Amino acid sequence: MNTDSLEKKFSLGRVALLIRNRAYDDAPGLGIGLAILFGLNILTLIIGRTAFMNESPEETYVAAIVLAGILLSSLAFKGMHSGKSGTDWILLPATPLEKYAAALATYLVAFPLAASGALIALSAVLSLLERLAGGPGNAIWHPFTLGTARDYGEYAAVAVAFLAGSATFRKRAILKTTGLAVAYVLACALLVYAGLALLYGPASGRDFSVSYDTGVLRVFGTEVADASGLERIFRALVDGVRLALVPGFSLAFGYFRVAEKEARDEVQ
Amino acid sequence: MVTCASMTFGYGKRPLFEGLDLSLEPGSIYGLLGLNGAGKTSLLKIVAGALRPNGGRVEAFGREPGARQAAFLADTAFVPEDPWLPPLKPAAWLERYAAFRPAFDRARFARLMGELSLDEGKLLTKYSYGQRKKFALASAIASGARTLLLDEPTNGLDIPSKAQFRRILAEAAEPGRVVVVSTHQVRDLESLIDPVVIVHDGKVLFSLGADDLAGRLYGARLRSLDGEPVVYAERDAVGWAALLARPAGGTEGGQAPDLELVFNAAVAAPERLEAALAGEPLPAYTPAAYAVEKE
Repeated sequence: MNTDSLEKKFSLGRVALLIRNRAYDDAPGLGIGLAILFGLNILTLIIGRTAFMNESPEETYVAAIVLAGILLSSLAFKGMHSGKSGTDWILLPATPLEKYAAALATYLVAFPLAASGALIALSAVLSLLERLAGGPGNAIWHPFTLGTARDYGEYAAVAVAFLAGSATFRKRAILKTTGLAVAYVLACALLVYAGLALLYGPASGRDFSVSYDTGVLRVFGTEVADASGLERIFRALVDGVRLALVPGFSLAFGYFRVAEKEARDEVQ
Repeated sequence: MVTCASMTFGYGKRPLFEGLDLSLEPGSIYGLLGLNGAGKTSLLKIVAGALRPNGGRVEAFGREPGARQAAFLADTAFVPEDPWLPPLKPAAWLERYAAFRPAFDRARFARLMGELSLDEGKLLTKYSYGQRKKFALASAIASGARTLLLDEPTNGLDIPSKAQFRRILAEAAEPGRVVVVSTHQVRDLESLIDPVVIVHDGKVLFSLGADDLAGRLYGARLRSLDGEPVVYAERDAVGWAALLARPAGGTEGGQAPDLELVFNAAVAAPERLEAALAGEPLPAYTPAAYAVEKE
């Protein structure tokens, strides 16, 4: 990095250095996680001649990436909150925007790519071992499917929220973010329920219930005409909130938490 | 140059600085003195950009610390009292962190590591407290930063290390660099720091150059304070360790003023110190009236 780049408000060079440092920090933990997965699969291979992750690869490999990604995202800004390392974190010569962008790029792009590569290799090795053990020799998992692309969208929306949680909560960010998400979903559900009650208010003696079965929507015992239209609107609304509004809010909120962070711990 | 103008800062509703003004010129090692809780660490962190003032203006070489531009952060090095270091060996630390500072002088860093007898094959987290301080100091000096902020740097160092530290710090005082050292242990650094900045009650109480001090004040061990131009005195085993005002026109004689006594005088008897520095006559000294309240 040269002196001129210091004057830039946003330097890709500095972001690349930050991503590299995050990769160095996370690699040992991910290596251990991969070794554990390999060990567990070998165990099932010995017992049942099949590696459990290769049996339903669309679920297991994607779940492994999503869970690890969420865990890493929720730990992304742990150092920033620490009483000891926090000052160093804040004063590392890169702007808050670069530090935040590097975390996003690491856990939304670099990590899924690297993890996919590692898990393709794991799947290939397990498949080979299955054949050698006389098992079925399941097909090698790969992420190049439409389903995985959709899963990636869901993962990105959730990871951004956990990054914001990590930038906000000093301790147990994963639990607190999950708790907030559950509370948020419950509040939304209550709001929808209250809205339906307003529109299709229950007559006395009818159950407070909403059911949707074989295309027939019943709200408080009343069959709703054009249920599919209402469902489309509802799904669009939910997807808009889930995949656009919440991630957008999380992105902005997380950034401001990082930009406004001060080293107020351990100061007299 | 580092300046604070009408700067205010506090924790919650508790104000720490109210309209603090400070101007630090390059080429000097400033000694920042204050009682516990006076805000020395907070002031250093504000200048470093780790804390943001509530009001007023802070600038370091034309940049606002709170904006945390990369150029500012690379031009500033802050060494905390208890430095944190990652679980890396020095070479790996250099690869990961020195890359963010284009002016980092690797050759100088290697020389300082050798001079400070720091083990290059050891993890930084295995270093002792004193070694961590030495490593942080070496990296700050080699960083090429023009603003160097050291918080209690001699705290926890053994006697030979303090001597090493003084030698290295003297080397770090380059013409274009502002060095600020906050310390309780003024005697460790008495020969190096000039000027002395005393922070008390949210303000800079005094900013005193060595020439001002030597020209206006001197130290003496006395059996009795009667008839002496005492600015401030503390009883010791023999009699009194006293800070005395030089008579008008007198510039020689007596010992150099002890910085610890100067600090205590600034906190306990600021009006007497001010009068002595202005060459004004001092009223009679009553020791009991000027006891320093330790917080």
